[in-house]
Amino acid sequence: MVAVTSVAAGSANPPEVVTSRASRRRLRPWRGLILAVAALYFVGPVLAAFWFSIHNSHTGIDFHAYTGFFSAQGFGTAFRMSLLLGLATVLITLILMVPTMLLVHLRYPRARAWVETFSLLPLVIPPVALVVGVRDIISFTGEDRFLGTPVATVMNFLQGNQPWLLSLLYVVMALPFTYRALDAGLRGSSVTTLVEAARNLGASWPVVVWRVVLPTLRTSVLNAGLLAFALVLGEYTMAKILNFSPFPVWLARFGDTDGQLQVGLSLLSLALTWVLLLTIAGVAGRAPGTARFPFRRRTS
Amino acid sequence: MTTTRRRWRIPGGRVRLGWLGLAPFAAYLAVFFVLPSVLVLFSAFRRVDPDTGVHSFTLQNWSDSLHGAYLKGLENSIQLAAVTAVISAVLGLVLAYAISTSRRPFFKQLVSTSSAVLANFGGLPLAFLFVAVLGSAGVLTSTVQSLFGLSLQDDLHFSLFSIRGVELVYLYFLIPLMVLVITPALEGIRPQWREAAENLGATGWQYWRWVAAPVLLPNVLGSTVLLFCGSLSAFATASALTNGTLAIVPLQIDTAVSGNVLVGQENLAAALALNMIVIVVPLTLIYQLLQKRTTTWLR
Amino acid sequence: MTAEPAVATIEGTRVEYLDVTRVFGATRALDGFTLQIEPGELLALLGPSGCGKTTALRLLAGFDQLSSGQLLIDGRDVSRQPVNKRDMGMVFQSYSLFPTMSARDNVGFGLRLRGASTSDRRRRAGELLELVGLSAHTEKYPHQMSGGQQQRVALARALAIQPRVLLLDEPLSALDAKVRTQLRDEIRRIQLELGVTTVFVTHDQEEALSMADRVGVMRAGQLEQCDAPSVLYQRPATPFVAEFVGTMNHLPGVVRDGSTVQVGDQSVPADGQVPLSGTAVSVLARPEAVLVEASVEGDAVVQVATFFGAVTRLRMLRSDGVELLADVSSHRAGELAPGTRVAVSLVDRPVLVRTPSS
Repeated sequence: MVAVTSVAAGSANPPEVVTSRASRRRLRPWRGLILAVAALYFVGPVLAAFWFSIHNSHTGIDFHAYTGFFSAQGFGTAFRMSLLLGLATVLITLILMVPTMLLVHLRYPRARAWVETFSLLPLVIPPVALVVGVRDIISFTGEDRFLGTPVATVMNFLQGNQPWLLSLLYVVMALPFTYRALDAGLRGSSVTTLVEAARNLGASWPVVVWRVVLPTLRTSVLNAGLLAFALVLGEYTMAKILNFSPFPVWLARFGDTDGQLQVGLSLLSLALTWVLLLTIAGVAGRAPGTARFPFRRRTS
Repeated sequence: MTTTRRRWRIPGGRVRLGWLGLAPFAAYLAVFFVLPSVLVLFSAFRRVDPDTGVHSFTLQNWSDSLHGAYLKGLENSIQLAAVTAVISAVLGLVLAYAISTSRRPFFKQLVSTSSAVLANFGGLPLAFLFVAVLGSAGVLTSTVQSLFGLSLQDDLHFSLFSIRGVELVYLYFLIPLMVLVITPALEGIRPQWREAAENLGATGWQYWRWVAAPVLLPNVLGSTVLLFCGSLSAFATASALTNGTLAIVPLQIDTAVSGNVLVGQENLAAALALNMIVIVVPLTLIYQLLQKRTTTWLR
Repeated sequence: MTAEPAVATIEGTRVEYLDVTRVFGATRALDGFTLQIEPGELLALLGPSGCGKTTALRLLAGFDQLSSGQLLIDGRDVSRQPVNKRDMGMVFQSYSLFPTMSARDNVGFGLRLRGASTSDRRRRAGELLELVGLSAHTEKYPHQMSGGQQQRVALARALAIQPRVLLLDEPLSALDAKVRTQLRDEIRRIQLELGVTTVFVTHDQEEALSMADRVGVMRAGQLEQCDAPSVLYQRPATPFVAEFVGTMNHLPGVVRDGSTVQVGDQSVPADGQVPLSGTAVSVLARPEAVLVEASVEGDAVVQVATFFGAVTRLRMLRSDGVELLADVSSHRAGELAPGTRVAVSLVDRPVLVRTPSS
C-alpha cells in the first residue's frame, strides 16, 4: 500500500508511454482484420434485421414496425406493466440498498464481506431454477387453509393486474449489478473520509447523510437505478414461467402475428438498453472519483 | 485504507440497535432468495400422493430427472454450454486483445457498453434478430437462396431452430461477455513485463509463452467456466427461438411447470432445477478461486 | 555482507550518444543530445519531468528508435539492433517482476532464454540473490515481497545476463524514504564491485549527487551540464543548473572591476566571466555560504527557522525586501530564533554572477 501511494506521489514523471510503438506497428494488420470481422459479425445481423423489419417483398419498404407498435394489440398494457415494474424495482432497490450500503461502509465495515457475498449470490442460482422455488411459494400460499388470511390477500395483490411480485424478484436479480454500482461509488468517492471531515466540522448524522453522502453518491445511485431498470425492461425468464405478460413476454407471443413488428421492437429495445448504459458510462465518465462501473456479469 | 476508518463513540445500546439497520436487507434476501432456493432443494425430494394429498420424501423426481428425455436434455445442455463456452472464450480473448491494444478511450467505452448490452440484457431481442437474419424468411436465408440457389435448411443442413442454430446465437452474447470479463485481466498486464522480457532477450513468442500466458491462464480458464454457467442457465434466447421445443434443461423446467397438467411435475421441475444448481454452484466457486489468484498477481 | 565478490565482474563498456534527436510528433524529446559514458562509470541523468532523460534511456535499451544521430556502444552503432539482442539489463520504476515466477525464476529468466541449464540457472540466480542480500527469499513470489525486495530482485535479474550496460529507470522512486537510501547505497556498492557501466535516470537530485560518478543535467531534450557531483554543485555551468541543483540565493550586486563584486557593503571575488564594471548583477550564493550574526544593527530579520538535524535553515528578510536563505549549525539556532535582528554577509569565496536578464 505504501509503495503504491508513493508511486503516485513520487513520480512527477509517468514513464512516457512510447512503449509498444514498434510492437503496435507489428500487430496492426491482424488487429485491423480481427476488428473488421468482429464488426461484421456483430453489426451485420443488426443491419440485416433492420432491413427485414422495413422491407417486405410484396409491399416494398415501410416503417410500420417503428410507427405502428403503439396501436398493436396489447402493446400498451404490456409496456405499461414493464415500466411500472421497472419503476417499482428501482424504488425498492434504492430504498433497500442505499441505507444498507451506507451502514456497511460507514458503521459496520465488518459486515461488508457478508453483504457483498449475499449481494453477488443471485448470480449463482440461475433464474430459471430460482423461479421454480417461487412457484412453490405461490402454490403453497394458494392452498385453501390460507383463504381469507392476510397471506392470501398479500399474495393476491402481488399477482394482480400489476404483478408486483416480479418487482420483488427483480430486485434480487438486479442485486449484483446495483451492489457493484453503489459499492464503486462509495469506494471511489472515499465517502468515509468525507464523513469524518464533516463529523469533525460538527455536522450531525442526518446532516452528514443528506448534505455530504447522498450528493457524492448521485451518479452511482443513478447508475444502480438505470441498471435495475434496464434489467426489468428485458427480463423474460421469470415473467414467462410465472405466467405474467410484461413487454418481453408480450413481444415473444406477438411474433406469430407480425414478424416485422417483432424484429423492429427487438431492435428498439436493444437500442433503448444501449442508450441507458451509454448514459451510465457517460455520467460515470464525467464525474471524477466515481469508479467506472464494471458491467461484468450476466444474470439471465 | 482500512486504517483510516474510525469507530465513532456511540453509547453501547445504539451500537446494537444499529445492527438492526441491516435487518431489512437480510430479511429481504431471506424471503426472496434464500427461501425459494431452499424450496427447490426441498421439493425436489417431495412427492404428493394424488389421491390422499399426503406429502412424502422420495428420490423418484431426482431419478426421473436423470433418465430418458431429461438425461438427454442434460447432456444437450452440457454439450451446448461447453461448445459455446470454449468457442466464445477463444474468440472473445482474441477480440478483447485486439480491442485492448487500442488507445482510443471512446472506442473502448463504446465496445464495453455494447458488450454489456449484448451480454447482460440481450437474451430475448437477440433471438428475434437472428430470426430476421437466418430464419426461414430471414434476410440471409433469402439472399443465399436467390444468389446461389441454396437452401440453408436443405442444402447446408443449418437450422436456426436446432441446437446448432441456438449455439450460433449464444455466441452473440457469450463473446461480448468474454470481452467484458477478460478485459480487466488483459489491461492488468503491465507493459513493463513485456519490456523487461524483451530486455532480457525474449522474442515476442517467448514473452507470450513464459510471461503473459501464465498470468492470463487462470483468468481465461475462470472466464470459460463463467461462460459455461451463463450458457447453461440461459433461457430467454432458446425459449423464444425454438418456442420451447429444444431439449435442454432450462426449457424442460419451463415445460414441466407451465404445462401444469400432471401432478408432481412441479417436483420434477425442482429436481431439474436442482441439477442445474448442483452444476453451477461449484463451478462458480472455481471461477471465484481462479479469479482471486490472478487478482493477487495483477494487484 | 558479501565478503567475496561471488559474481564475476562485468567488462564495462563505453556508451556514446552523438547528436541524437528523437521527435514525437511536434515535440523534440531529445534534441541534439551528445554524451559520452566511460567504461565502468555510473552516470546519472537528472532533470525535471519531460526533459528527455527517460527517452535517452529507452533509446539505449532499444525500446525506441532515434530520429537522427548515432548511438555507439564500444564504438559500434547499435541503433538498428532490436531490444532483445542488445544485452542491456534494465531495472524499471516498479512492478516489472514477472508475477508468476519466484524470485529465483525471475532472476534466472534471462539465462533460460540463453539456454543455460537448470542447475546453472539455479546456481547463478542464487549467487545474484545473495549479492543483493535476498538469499533467504529465493522462493518468494513478487506479491509476497516488499517494494524494496522486489527492486533488489529486479536488479539481480538485470545483472544475471551480464549486461553490457545496466539501465536504471528511477528504480527507487516507488520506495519509501528509508528503504530508498538503503538501496541507493547497495546499488552503488554492487555497481562498483562489478564494474558495470550504469546509466541511472532520476528526478531526485539527492539520489543523483550521492550515487553517481558524473551527473548529466538535462533540460528540454538537451544536456545542460555533465560533471562530477561536486563540480555541478559548486560551479553550475548555466543558470538552470544552478537553480535545479541545490538551493541558491540571488543577491543584487554591482561589478566593481574585472574580478570583484560589491554585494551590500561587502566586496567578494567573482568566479568565471564577469561583465563590465558598473554592471548590475545577480550574485549567486548557496545557503551554506551565507554568514549570519545576531546584531541589533543588522538590516535583516529571521522569519522562519526550519530544523534539519545538524543544520537549521533560516529564512530572512532584508530591509530592502530581498529574501535570503542561510544554513547555520543547529546549536546556534537558539540565538537566531525568528524575530531576531541579524547581520548577513557572504563567505569570502569566489561567487558566481549573472546579469539579471540571463
